[in-house]
This record gives sequence, C-alpha cells and structure tokens, in this order.
Amino acid sequence: MTKHLHRLAPLILVAFGAAAMLGARNLGLGELSAPGPGLWPFIVATLLTLTGVVVLFIDDPEDYEPWTRGTLGIALGLASLAVFIVLFETIGFFVSAILMLLFWLRIFAREPWRWAVPLAVLGALAFHFVFVELLAVPFPDGIVFAPVGS
Amino acid sequence: MGILDGLGQGFSVALDPTNLLYVFLGVLIGTVIGVLPGLGPTATIALLLPLTYEIEPVTAVIMLAGIYYGSMYGGTITSVLLQLPGEAASVVTTFDGYQMAKQGRAGPALGIAAIGSWIGGTVSIVGLVLLAPPLADLAVEFGDPEYVALTALGILLVTYLGTRHPVKSLAMAALGLLLATVGQDLITGTNRFTFGSISLFDGFDFVAVAMGLFGVGEILYNVEKTEKAQALKSKISNIWPSRKDFKDSSGAIARGSVLGFFLGVLPGGGGVISSLASYGMEKRRAKDPTRFGKGAIEGVAGPETANNASSTSAFIPLLTLGIPPNVVLALIFGALLLNGVQPGPQLIDQQPEIFWGVIASMAVGNLMLLALNIPLVGFFVQLLRVRAGILAAFALLVTMAGVFSVNNDVFDMWVVLAFGIIGWLMKKTGFEPGPLVLAFVLGSILEESFRRSMLISGGEVSIFFTRPMSGTLFALMAVVVIWSTVQGIRRRRKRSRPSTPGEEDLAATGTTAEPEGTPGYENTDDTEGATTGAPRDGSGATGGTGSTASRAQDGGPGPDRG
Repeated sequence: MTKHLHRLAPLILVAFGAAAMLGARNLGLGELSAPGPGLWPFIVATLLTLTGVVVLFIDDPEDYEPWTRGTLGIALGLASLAVFIVLFETIGFFVSAILMLLFWLRIFAREPWRWAVPLAVLGALAFHFVFVELLAVPFPDGIVFAPVGS
Repeated sequence: MGILDGLGQGFSVALDPTNLLYVFLGVLIGTVIGVLPGLGPTATIALLLPLTYEIEPVTAVIMLAGIYYGSMYGGTITSVLLQLPGEAASVVTTFDGYQMAKQGRAGPALGIAAIGSWIGGTVSIVGLVLLAPPLADLAVEFGDPEYVALTALGILLVTYLGTRHPVKSLAMAALGLLLATVGQDLITGTNRFTFGSISLFDGFDFVAVAMGLFGVGEILYNVEKTEKAQALKSKISNIWPSRKDFKDSSGAIARGSVLGFFLGVLPGGGGVISSLASYGMEKRRAKDPTRFGKGAIEGVAGPETANNASSTSAFIPLLTLGIPPNVVLALIFGALLLNGVQPGPQLIDQQPEIFWGVIASMAVGNLMLLALNIPLVGFFVQLLRVRAGILAAFALLVTMAGVFSVNNDVFDMWVVLAFGIIGWLMKKTGFEPGPLVLAFVLGSILEESFRRSMLISGGEVSIFFTRPMSGTLFALMAVVVIWSTVQGIRRRRKRSRPSTPGEEDLAATGTTAEPEGTPGYENTDDTEGATTGAPRDGSGATGGTGSTASRAQDGGPGPDRG
C-alpha cells in the first residue's frame, strides 16, 4: 500500500480536474463560434485531468521526499502563521509580530532568549515603522499604537 | 525612434536620482540574496511585489531586474569560497571555483567571475538594444491567433525546458490556467468558481499567489533543508586576475556571452540552463578536459558570464512580445501588469521610458555590481553568519504584512498561507511551482485571445493553423511535444527517468537542473552527485577530498533542527 502512496498527488489533481470540468460545463460551454464562460475553463480542466492521468502512471516515486521530523516542524510553523493572521485581525500588528518572531526565533532559529527577545521587539518596531509610518498601511487597530495608526 | 535617441532617453531615466537609488538597492539586494543560501531571486522578487505599488512602474522594474542579475553575481561568492551555491545558476561554479579557492586562488576566481559577468551582461545589453526593436516591429502585426500560439508556446517551452518532469510541469501549467479563470468572466460577467465568496470576484490576487508559492512555500522548504551558519576560513587576496588568467578565460567569456544571450531569449532558458550549458561546452572544447573539476579558470569564467548574459537577454521576449521566458520574468511581468503597464510590442512606442529606461539601468547596474563586488567580497561573506531560521522569520513577517498592504484585506493573507502550503507540498512531491505561476499570469491573456480568435473566425479552429505565423508556431509546438514524448519513452525503456534537453550537459557535470531562480540550498544528506556534489567523472581523488573537507568544515551534516 505504501508503495502506491505517491500516487495520491496525481489522484488529487485528476479529481480536481474532473470536478472543474463538471463545474465548467454547468457554467455553460456555448458554441465554438460564441464561446460561453465555461468553455475555456473546460478546456484547461481537461488538460489538467489528462496530464494528471499520465502522471499517475509514469511518475517516478523517487521524486517524492520522505516525511521527516523536520516536516512536523514545518506543520507547526504553518500553524503559527495561521495563529498570527487571527491575532493580527484581533489585536493588531505590533504584539502579534513580536509573538510570531519570538516563536520562530526560539523554535526554528534556536536563538537564546537574550538574542531572541531584542531581535523580536526591534524587528516588530522596525516593521511597524516601515509599514504604518512610512507606507501608511492601515493595519487593524492594535492594543499598542492604536491611536497612532488610525 | 532611433536607437540612439532611445538610449539617450533611457539613460536620462536611469540616471534620475530616484531610479539610480533603486538600481543600487536592486543590485545590492540581489547580491545579498545571491549570497544567502536560503533565499533565491524568485522568492525575493515575490516578497517585494507589494512594494511595486508604491513606486513608479519603471522604477519597480529597474529594481526587480537589478535583483535578478545581481543575484547572479552574488551566488558566485559563496560557490567559490564555501562550495555553497547561493542560487541555482551558480551550482556549476562550485566545481572549479571551490577548487581554485582551495589552491589559494579564490581572489582570481571571484575577480574573473565578476569581470566575465560584466562582459556577458554588457554584450547582452547591446544585443537587446539591436534585436528588440525589430522584433517588436514584427510583433505589432500579430493578431489574436498569433498571441494564442505565442503564449501557448511560451508556456509549453517553459514546462519542457526549465524543469525536470515535463508532464508534471504541464499539469501544473494547466492548474495555473485553471486558477486564472476564477472570478468574474470579463466578457459575459458570469462568476466562475467563486463559490459565493465576494473576495473571489476579482479572482486570486497575483501577488498573493506568487508570494504564497514562492515566498512562503520556498522559505518553509528551505527551513526544512538547511540550517547552518557558515564562517569563512580561507583568505582572499589578489582579486584582480593575472594576465595569464585573462588569456586562459577570454575564450570562455566570449563563448559564454553568446551562448548565454541566446539561451536567455529562449522560453524556458535563463541563468541555470545557460551556466550548465557553458560548463559543458568549455569542458568539451578543452584540450585537457581532466583539468575541469580541479580548478580550471575557464570553468568559472564561462558559466558565470553565461548566466549573467542570459539574465539580461531574458528581457527581450518580455519587453517585445509580452511573453515572459522564465519564472523570474513572469513575476516582473506580473509587477508591470499590476501597475497598469501591458508589456508587449507596443511598449517601445507607447512607453519608451520603460523600455529604454530598463535597458539603460542594466548598463548602470552591471557597472555598480562590478564596483561593488570586487572590494566588498569580504563584507558579503559575513552575511553568511545570518542563520536561515532568523532569515525565515523576518521574511515571513514581511510576506504577511506586505500582502495585507496590497488590498488592505486579511483574506489575501489566508490566500498566501494556503498557497504557501500548496507550494511547500509541491516542492516535496516534485511538482514545480514555476509553470503554475507563469501560466497563471498568462492565463487571462491566453483566454481572451482564444475567445476573440473564435469570434473572428466564427468558430473555425483552423484559424490557428492557416495563418502563416500562428501555423508555424503551432507546428513548432507539435514538434516539441512529439520529440520529447519519443525521447521520454526511449529513456524510460532504458530505465531512466524522463529528462529535459540540456541533460547531456548536466550529465557531464554530474548535477541536476534546479528551476530558475531558486536558491541553491545545500544538501544536508550524503547523497552523491546532488547539488553540491563534486563532478563525478575525471577527478575522483580531488573531488572526493573536496566534498569531505567542506563537510568537515561545516561541522558535519546536521539533522539538528526542530
């Protein structure tokens, strides 16, 4: 079973392509002389499905990298980005930026606290300065710098 | 407008203080990220896309172009000194460059690379000036069917030439074309694949997709791969090459300039392929090929010249036809579109300041690089002390804040994250994000031209084959597909995997082509013949000690990360 695990990726592509073909057909293919909104998506979805099927059969299993302990770390990193986006929406940029930098510097860069804390605070300050003061980007209201930004 | 008038206008644009500052910033950033192994030109350009909203289109392109060719210079430094290619186009430089450094000739290796790059860049600029205007004149005649043919050919060649698995890349290109159809249909106003989400009415934002796939995806992939701080052991002296060095490498530089120029113009070409091709060519031409891999200066001069020449000439198809020949140029194309500039045959006439300004800025930028590189090598090497983890943390924060700033919309941040996950998974499964982004950028042009062609012809598909120009292009496409299918089947019979053209050259150097614009990360596992592996043939003893020495110096291959 694990021998065929690598075929999962092209299978997803085929499924995705087939779903898109159906969706495109529902949009209305029209005539070749008067193409409907679905015609072009239908053509490219067909191409995706066909190439997916070919990949399903000819693909080289060596192309797929093994999942390692590092992979788990990346999943954690991705989760941290999702948390950052949520925090960013609720408590603004500055504090969330410090937290995210701190997390990455500690977990992935393995900086000691005495480097991680100043780097995170100064980094967040610098970004705040560039984006809010210099480029006037309206970040969501934060718990720090709220009156300045808006 | 004549060439001289054009150049005059170009230099007046390029020498404007603001633009001068951005050329400088571009080449400096390019050199820095060329040195840093965790970040390649595609990722950097993707990260800086939001910035292009803030500045004039011409200034934006000047800076992004500077990053591209600047990275070609920067990648050399670490290849020579540490056998650690900073980006993919400098991988072959490690073979002879690092050997030269071990023999105490790091200075001349870096010197000849910088001088060769400058010559290659300059030759390419001259070629660009001479070739682009007539090509644009020719392209002005193009109608919709020609655009369909040209765009499709561009996408096809990029999937076939620049990548390892043509079919997988083609699937990604199809996915890119499909993603480009999300949003309101421009002709009928129907919502396509929006699933009722208002944020999707305008389709996926190009910046968010590119930043996700290249920025986040590549950063994550590299965090998983590399984690090492480097320190320079060898000393650099006598950067200016000797008279004999010049004599030995002059032929390689001349050939590298021409080869790089032509490979850069070709869709799917670019720095990676041209540096590999140049190395293969020099090795075949040499009287004594066994010197290669043991510190032959031609092995540094040729590829370094070629990669820079091609990174300049790659602008020809973009500026004259509106077709980006590789992924880095696709990002620059996207940046222009975002600023309301449509690159294409009309660009020279309608916005000459962009066309000539960018060309002139390249001449200025290449001079800056020559001036920067030689005295500041020591400084750039210090950058390697920056750990990949720190770099990743800050780069991700820039990505997130940057993408928000484009539309001031949190939805785009989620798009970046989603495409970041997709990009990282694609890298892990051997699908390449490059063709996807290229197809995504070209998708709406291709669809519009296709639909207009159908309307013109009254639904006759034959319109694509009966017009001489588009007929020729489609015939060419058929040849590419048939030829590569036959090749693929033949190779499968021989129990090896499907390969791309230019593979002979890669085989000659014992390496595989990385996609254009990726950082040349270091392989931490001990697989032989991978990115940083020594050449397989002809130099067993030296090559072997070379790689063991570098590993010992690195403090051993390190699975020491979380």
